[in-house]
Amino acid sequence: MRKILKSPTGIIGVILLTIVLFATVFGPWIAPYDPQAFDARARLQGPSMAHWLGTDQYGRDLLSRILSGAPSTVAFGLGATILGVGVGSVIGVIAGVAGGRTDSIIMRILDGMLAMPELLFTLLIVTFLGGGTTQAMLAVAVTFTPGMARIARSAVLSVRTREYVLAAQARGESRAWIVGREVLPNALGPIIVEATIRVSFAIMIGATLGFLGLGAQPPSTEWGLMVAEARQFMFRNPWCVAVPGLAIAITALGFNLFGDALRDAFDPKRGH
Amino acid sequence: MSHFTLSRRHVLMGLAASTALPGMSFAQGATPVSGGTLKISHSTRIATLNVLSLSGPAEYPCIDMLYSGLTRTGLDNQPHPDLATEWSANDDATEFTFILREGVTFHDGTPFTADDVVATYEAILNPDIPSAARSVLKMVEKVEAVDDLTVKFTLSAPFADLPYSTAHANARIVSRAALDGDLTKLDTTANGTGPFKLETYDSARMVRLVKNENYYKPGQPYLDAVEMMLFPDLAAETANFLSGATDVMLTVQQADFQRISDSAGVDAQQVGSGRYVCVVMRQDQEPWNDVRVRKAFGMAVDRELLVDVILEGLGRPAYDSIVAPELEYATDKPVIPYDPEAARALLAEAGYPDGLKVTLVASDRPAIRAQTAIAIQQTAGAAGFDVEIKTMPHDTYLAEEWMKGDFYIGYWGMQPTIDATYNLLLTSDASYQDTEWKNAEFDALVAEGRSTVDPEKRAEIYAKAQALELDESPYIVPFYEDVLTASRETTVDWHIAPISRFFFIEDVWMNKA
Repeated sequence: MRKILKSPTGIIGVILLTIVLFATVFGPWIAPYDPQAFDARARLQGPSMAHWLGTDQYGRDLLSRILSGAPSTVAFGLGATILGVGVGSVIGVIAGVAGGRTDSIIMRILDGMLAMPELLFTLLIVTFLGGGTTQAMLAVAVTFTPGMARIARSAVLSVRTREYVLAAQARGESRAWIVGREVLPNALGPIIVEATIRVSFAIMIGATLGFLGLGAQPPSTEWGLMVAEARQFMFRNPWCVAVPGLAIAITALGFNLFGDALRDAFDPKRGH
Repeated sequence: MSHFTLSRRHVLMGLAASTALPGMSFAQGATPVSGGTLKISHSTRIATLNVLSLSGPAEYPCIDMLYSGLTRTGLDNQPHPDLATEWSANDDATEFTFILREGVTFHDGTPFTADDVVATYEAILNPDIPSAARSVLKMVEKVEAVDDLTVKFTLSAPFADLPYSTAHANARIVSRAALDGDLTKLDTTANGTGPFKLETYDSARMVRLVKNENYYKPGQPYLDAVEMMLFPDLAAETANFLSGATDVMLTVQQADFQRISDSAGVDAQQVGSGRYVCVVMRQDQEPWNDVRVRKAFGMAVDRELLVDVILEGLGRPAYDSIVAPELEYATDKPVIPYDPEAARALLAEAGYPDGLKVTLVASDRPAIRAQTAIAIQQTAGAAGFDVEIKTMPHDTYLAEEWMKGDFYIGYWGMQPTIDATYNLLLTSDASYQDTEWKNAEFDALVAEGRSTVDPEKRAEIYAKAQALELDESPYIVPFYEDVLTASRETTVDWHIAPISRFFFIEDVWMNKA
């Protein structure tokens, strides 16, 4: 942790993440208004004392909507990443450890999937599964799987021929024990770093799907959906597009910078 | 509330409701000038030009330019002569005779005769050919050509509104040669009798039509060509219109209307229409079988707020009748005030003292459905209705919810007559009967109105039918949505009929001087 805080990117990342996580945990409680409550007299207003970030086309308080949308947005990013990383890592470790023909077959299939641009692949899956938050999360997870598997495999390969693994083999340890106690702990670093950065991508893809109407559905306060709903009113109150857009940017930036700092901290070549 | 006090737009609305003849140009103090190309922007694809079956909002202006029907609905919502110059019915409205216009030719030069009319109506009535007009022409038993310029319709049941049915946007006359040939050719080609001929058909980009020199109205159309330009992105469409790259915006979104009408050199029109959103409540099961619950829900909807927030004030509150005030024989409907207290009391009386928890389904297209659901959720909360909203993709909605679910949001366009309105949704054998309301007395009244020719008696019968609808509240109808369109000031006489199927582009001219 101290190493992360040494770099400026790390500090900014940690600060942004703290804000986002605070909003995620306490947001729904500290929201000043009901995020769904209409106010026909205060539509499309700019920031004021009553509404700190202004109001949207129905007179709903934007700050309250951002705060109440934080948990679902962050949960979407984390959920999709954990799922994708979990499945991807298992596949990658299996391929890396097994080697030979199994490895070749798995990796060629994943290469095929990697050839598709991420967003297009996600759209394809969502179109197939139908819109909705769960489907969108699954789609992002599936899209993340091949990339994560590749990273996990390369991490395993680089560890597999190390002396301590060879020593364990020489001791006659079982394969499961070697993978669980020697290979995985030492291959975990790159996976965690990659996963942290991926959270920001997941949040952005989630917002994109919400914007396209394929993710969360109204009256949800998912941020991408908020941008899409407010887009028509952009010329009358730019705040209703800018606020959720900024929220997405801050969250994505926070995870990204934190991931970068984490990578630097894990990298033995730097810092020492 | 809205910023619209009495303005040019309201005057236009009034004109739209009272104009006598569709072919008449409004007094603009100038004689029309020929020439010029009209560029119309639209945001939905022109997927087909098949006049028998198409239903896209941007497809209607195309067939209105390419084809003519026997009759045509005017801005006053009445049928006017088109290819038929006059018509008459026998006393019990079972036989209609149409006299056809002389000397009309199709775009390829072949003459138009009664035989083409017979061929067209046979195709419309043929169950093997998809056709949108069949539902309003079901009662036609036989169509025969008496001579080259006289057509006789024999009906299986009395139907006084036949001239309205022949004005259906999809009941335009196609030549016998085209109907005997490959029908899929109708999708991409057109040989009609309308004021414009098809030049280019590219459904992904542009449809271009050029002047028909042989159109039956002398000297018309004034325009040399019309280009229908597709803009899938609404922001791009607005920007192009405001910069002058296009002349007409076929449909303006409510959110943009104020901004566009405030722009210099732009003429924005707001046409009162009977397009509405409704809440469908299935009445063969709890809780909606109880009229008190339906009435309570009606009082729990804040109609003024919905018009303000969802339509930006560009519409009128409706009071649970699907009959728009523009229709002939429509009665004045009493105001249903927003009264959550009374609604709560009525709900308690119906056996729900603790309120009612319901799930309202809304499809995601067009956005107005979900917007209405969200707004109703807000206003109904105070009346004890705990509304949960479930949005779903439109295809899923059509497959699983529409005509099956017990509580969902419907969205309907305006019909030309009360008879068509009721037979579409409310009579027991209506085409899209989705409430299971099924009232025998109501059915009898609608059937009686259909076969009555005397206007006074009809008014009486339809008044009774509407009173019955109000008593029973089979639908919650919160508002009527106005049709919004805009043209540049250089474009003269651009109009849309309230039913938004008829455009009279042969009257439009460019005042570039």
